[in-house]
Amino acid sequence: MDVLHWDGTLSAKDFRIGAFAFAQKWESCNLAFPPWSWLPCPKHPWLAPPEEEGYLSLEKICISRPNEEEDIDQISQIDTGEEETCCSRNEDVLDDATLVQSNHHELHYCDFHIVYSSTFRVPVLYFRAYCSDGRPLPLDEIEKELPACASKELSKKWTFITQEEHPCLKRPWYKLHPCGTAEWMKLLFLSDTANPKFEVVLELYLLSWFSVVGQVFGLRISLKISN
Amino acid sequence: MAKEGSGSILQFAPLQSSVDEGFWHRLSSLKLNKFGIDDSPIPISGFYAPCSHPQVSNHLTLLAESLLSDSNDESTMPSVIRGNRNRCSVPGILYNTNTMEGFHALDKQGLLKAEAMKIWEEIHSGKAVEDCAVLSRVLLISFADLKKWNFHYWFAFPALALDPPATLVDLRPASQWFTLEEAESVSTACNEWRNSSVTAGILRIWKLVNVMVKRENRGFADLNLSLVGEALITVQQGWREQQCVPNAVGWELNKGRKVPRCINLAKSMDPTRLAISAADLNLKLMRWRALPSLNLEILFSLKCLLLGAGTLGCQVARMLMAWGVRRITLLDNGRVAMSNPLRQSLYTLDDCHNGGDFKATAAVRSLQRIFPAVEAEGIVMAIPMPGHPVSSQEEKSVLEDCKRLNDLIDSHDVIFLLTDTRESRWLPTLLCANRNKITITAALGFDSFLVMRHGPGPFNSIPNLKAEMEDSLAAGMDNLVLTNTDGQHRLGCYFCNDVVAPTDSTSNRMLDQQCTVTRPGLAPIASALAVELLVGILHHPNGIFAEAEIANSSSGGNFELPLGILPHQIRGSLPHFQQMTLLGHSSNSCTACCSTVVSEYRKRGMQFILQAINHPTYLEDVTGLTELMRSANSFQLDWDDDIEVADDECVEL
Repeated sequence: MDVLHWDGTLSAKDFRIGAFAFAQKWESCNLAFPPWSWLPCPKHPWLAPPEEEGYLSLEKICISRPNEEEDIDQISQIDTGEEETCCSRNEDVLDDATLVQSNHHELHYCDFHIVYSSTFRVPVLYFRAYCSDGRPLPLDEIEKELPACASKELSKKWTFITQEEHPCLKRPWYKLHPCGTAEWMKLLFLSDTANPKFEVVLELYLLSWFSVVGQVFGLRISLKISN
Repeated sequence: MAKEGSGSILQFAPLQSSVDEGFWHRLSSLKLNKFGIDDSPIPISGFYAPCSHPQVSNHLTLLAESLLSDSNDESTMPSVIRGNRNRCSVPGILYNTNTMEGFHALDKQGLLKAEAMKIWEEIHSGKAVEDCAVLSRVLLISFADLKKWNFHYWFAFPALALDPPATLVDLRPASQWFTLEEAESVSTACNEWRNSSVTAGILRIWKLVNVMVKRENRGFADLNLSLVGEALITVQQGWREQQCVPNAVGWELNKGRKVPRCINLAKSMDPTRLAISAADLNLKLMRWRALPSLNLEILFSLKCLLLGAGTLGCQVARMLMAWGVRRITLLDNGRVAMSNPLRQSLYTLDDCHNGGDFKATAAVRSLQRIFPAVEAEGIVMAIPMPGHPVSSQEEKSVLEDCKRLNDLIDSHDVIFLLTDTRESRWLPTLLCANRNKITITAALGFDSFLVMRHGPGPFNSIPNLKAEMEDSLAAGMDNLVLTNTDGQHRLGCYFCNDVVAPTDSTSNRMLDQQCTVTRPGLAPIASALAVELLVGILHHPNGIFAEAEIANSSSGGNFELPLGILPHQIRGSLPHFQQMTLLGHSSNSCTACCSTVVSEYRKRGMQFILQAINHPTYLEDVTGLTELMRSANSFQLDWDDDIEVADDECVEL
């Protein structure tokens, strides 16, 4: 396919190829983060899942800023004094061997999924954030953790956060709306003066795409990969 | 995870729970579809992974997969547990109650003892050595309030208390403890555990002597961070007996207190909440991609009053909701007839039974079905009309209706006149002109329509009636808005072009005139234009005072305002598939909005209204129309009732 006439989109099959290329590059060069995993998302679970349908997943990325006061390792006796408890007080077992952790350091985590959109024919970044006990975080709290300059810039031009049902998990997740993606992906590749073959484009597609959308979350890709 | 304690008591930091949202979704779905009111205990699996964060130990996690899959739910994954991270499974049990009282009434100590007993038995039987996963168990009690989407829950990680407690003898990094060979084989064993489905908990006491703390770095066991230690345990005499169970501890603390936790998931599970956030999606996308100056806040906070819930009212209501308007009041005194559902888009056959529901209430119901968060109100009331005289018995209730209408107009921002007669629009027009409310009229002929916005009323501000009672007219004169800032006359209302007062148009009509027959396409077109016109007004810096613009083919695509021009009147003709924008200034003799009429109303209030209703010529006298007619007739001009297709020039009386 001639890259000059390419419209910036991918077929489902190409997405899978591109996804694997991306995951490989990520794992070999991006030392700060765990690897992406491919998870199947079959449309018809009772049939053998066709190879194409799935998505990339990167989970439990800590997005909290480092906190100065961290005293998790305080050692103290268990406090059996005044507890509002539904347990009967007589039956409480005094246990010197249980460490009471005061000042629990509350961390926020984020899960990222890269899912293929058959309507727009581009990858879409889905994400959600939660506390360490599993409680989900609403968007305004997530936005506090995001690097301030990046999110404002990008959300004006290229990205737009909406809440929609995750196509595989059937629960509301946040996503970066894909309606501009094809346009700027095309621009990214056309601005490269060397006229690349489509195979090369495919191999670099997700990497280039992620280098743009990942910035919303401050996820930078090391320069090594882009060679 | 074991840490060094003060003195030499070996202390254990209790496990902490982390419940993925998917677990609650799965539990709700199972409860609704499968379990019903059955509250027998449910087996669950917790998951644990080695610690990868230097300061915070990993939690025991419950995921959607922790519960057995709901076979009715097509979207569930097959029962293979995802193996993308270290995931050691821990057996557990869930007691989910049906009521809050049931939740509090559970015998927590008893349940904990029962789980501890299971561990004790497995230690005795030797199974604990074979499969040390059984040494950890998870006990979870919960109550799922599926109306408010509140999940109350409490974890317990049963652990046998050692009495006296164990003491720590030595603790060193694993790299210093093992020989090189031992280190390698331990490393391999740990890494292999990842892939095994029969994995043991990594952090366990095994053989009650050696304690190993495994820590990970980037997915591989890190022997520098991992610790190995030796602990001394005094074996109690009674432990040989199976019945003598040591005490158990393990209820998870909630911020240091022994109370259950609660999580609310309405935002992601309540269909109404989801509908609300989805409804905004289209508008926000529109603002982002095409119309950055779109003022959604003003649309969300707008209060609209729709007078008439027929073909026009139903369509206008739907269009308003599509633009994000949430607060809509519909006023109509009619009932849904069998022929209505076809043309009046909020009604279905169900609304027609038993003589038909009141349109106002049926419309509100329908709006709520479309969008549950709409704030819709229905008012069943007739609008008092000039030319339909009222008897003295009816007078009181008519006056009350007038007052009620006045209050409604006062408490709304925009009024749509969507009734099916000319005279029913008179009183609302007057009241709106009095209060300078944004007023939009839509009227249908057989194959033509009119959509227009009324100009502002004759007075700039609402006078304090009490203070200015004596010379309200004089004071009013000072405030007269005859001209806008540009010296243009204010725009006219629906009645400004009329030379006769509104009168009874309904009696003595032929059947087709009585039934207001129109081509079906007209109402949707006119209603849509009416709402788009409103949005244009709201985005114009001068609002109700905005001057009128006329559509001009030479203006091309460049508009001053992003939504385009803001006309005064739009008249359309279906036979020609044509529509044109017109401009009409206010008339000094208008029966509804001229300064004379409005001041009379301000002076005499409801008495003035009554007089206008009961005496058809009164309005013409007051406004001087009678005089005008007389002088006109003396010139023997013939008045043409039809409005001809005019060119762009103003039509003035």
